[in-house]
Amino acid sequence: MNNSKNELPPFVKSWKQFYYLLLFWLVLLIALFYAFTKYFQ
Amino acid sequence: MSNLDWAVLLVTLLGIVGYGVYKSRGTRSMDAYLLGGQSMPWYTVCLSVMATQASAITFLSAPGLAYSSGMSFVQFYFGLPLAMIVLCITFVPIFHRLKVYTAYEFLEQRFDFKTRALTAFLFLIQRGLSTGITIYAPAIILSTILNINVTYTTLFMGGLVIFYTVFGGTKAVSYTQLLQMTIIFCGLFAAGVMVVHLLPESVGFGKAIDIAGKMGRTNAIDFDFSWTNPYNVWSGIIGGFFLQLSYFGTDQSQVGRYLTGSSVGQSRLGLLMNGLVKIPMQFLILLIGVLVFTFYQYNKAPLFFNSYELHKLERSEHRAELANIQLKHDRLFEKKKQEVEKLDAALSANNQALINQQRTLVKQYDEEGKTIREELKALMIKNDADAATNDNNYIFLSFVTEYLPKGLIGLLIAIIFLASMGSTASALNSLASTTVVDIYKRLINKSANDGQYVNASRWATILWGVVCIIMALFTSKIGNLIEAVNILGSFIYGTILGVFLVAFYLKNVGSKAVFYAAILSEAVVCVLGFNEVVAYLWLNVIGCLGVVIFAYLFQNLIKEKAVEIEVPV
Repeated sequence: MNNSKNELPPFVKSWKQFYYLLLFWLVLLIALFYAFTKYFQ
Repeated sequence: MSNLDWAVLLVTLLGIVGYGVYKSRGTRSMDAYLLGGQSMPWYTVCLSVMATQASAITFLSAPGLAYSSGMSFVQFYFGLPLAMIVLCITFVPIFHRLKVYTAYEFLEQRFDFKTRALTAFLFLIQRGLSTGITIYAPAIILSTILNINVTYTTLFMGGLVIFYTVFGGTKAVSYTQLLQMTIIFCGLFAAGVMVVHLLPESVGFGKAIDIAGKMGRTNAIDFDFSWTNPYNVWSGIIGGFFLQLSYFGTDQSQVGRYLTGSSVGQSRLGLLMNGLVKIPMQFLILLIGVLVFTFYQYNKAPLFFNSYELHKLERSEHRAELANIQLKHDRLFEKKKQEVEKLDAALSANNQALINQQRTLVKQYDEEGKTIREELKALMIKNDADAATNDNNYIFLSFVTEYLPKGLIGLLIAIIFLASMGSTASALNSLASTTVVDIYKRLINKSANDGQYVNASRWATILWGVVCIIMALFTSKIGNLIEAVNILGSFIYGTILGVFLVAFYLKNVGSKAVFYAAILSEAVVCVLGFNEVVAYLWLNVIGCLGVVIFAYLFQNLIKEKAVEIEVPV
């Protein structure tokens, strides 16, 4: 098993950036679902 | 089912079972059998983690939930991306670098054996019970198709899964899950397209959702805070975060999946991708349920979706009363259909006043329908006190078998089987590894060779398979299966997570303090949970924080010296 500390995620420069990307994705989904709920209710 | 459907179903099932057996050949070491040789790339880890969580229950119950109460269940998953981040920062590197087989091994290094044994025991109880439910879900399918008692189908399904799992081992489980998820995505997409295709010509995808929305089925977001409403944004983010962190961080059925990653980075990437994909996937599955709901506004739904229970009533002395209820149901459908068509026309004309008027009317008819169903359930209980009166899990299944074309029925039923086999295989594999690594190897036989431990793992899989089948036979009285699994998990996960968080973050707390804190916290959770003081998602928060707070207080009373462990870099 490779335990390299320097292994980086794709598309971004660090793991921290990937975590922020995931947080942004969650907020975006909640906003979209809210718009979906309001539009169709 | 047609011959073509049976052919598709059997070829897929036998293909997967054969593939699992083929992949397991030559597995002689514990590392290969329990951790898959730690050789998997991130996409296999991601799909394996998703397949373990998305059991047949996901595809049976979730559309049924959306049909009967709307899409609010999607909020349950809002804590998942946050949990993935915490896992990647803390749990994954530590588990990888300490080279543990199970999560509970770490707790003995950090605390002592009794803490490891307590958490392993709680896991075995919880996972053993919930795997029973996982086996029961696909057994419903055979029961409905063949119109025989679900007991026989449970025995058949459980036996098939045990056979596959005993030979499979972790590596084969991961590889088959990769295939299973690919087929599942394709099949669900086809099902969604077919539902829209079966709607009246004037009703497209957008209007179908619009009609369901006017009848309260597109309620994906609820910002109102409530301790007792299980599905709102806050319970989803906070309670869901604790539940998902507990599930992925401390449940061996998941820990065992991402420990198969070839490196810390590959395990991390697999989990983070799961965080990206899971919520949209669940939203789309619920959306299929919403489309099925609209479909049944134009096509008469069965009075009760569980045909086995309905047939029982038809053969009883209460058939005259049943006929009366059926008549009311038929009349209501005709009246409601007319009003839905007027709503459809109002939506096309964008006549807001008429839309509001029709919305009130169809909602009123929807409530009347619920009253008729309550009347039916009361009759079912009168006829048989043990009757299963919740048919949520049969709604999507009934639609698939009744309205989808030949071949696609077989494929969708195969998908439900595949999903069940994947998650049940993971669960049995994790139950076996915990039993062997945390109990057998630690307490009973410390000096056996790898081959003997692999054999012990296979026997443990058989034993747990039999226990889970017995549990499954008692599952039929439980209402919605997906909720039942999550409620059960919420009683136990919070406490286990609390123990792990103390281990990671409160480095001065010793073993005695955390052990008694865990017992006290679990007692509090049971009292609150059994008395339904709070909605079940909050039990995860209470259990976890309870352990952390009690452990901190006990440590200050006991003043025990904590063990420090070094994590290799």
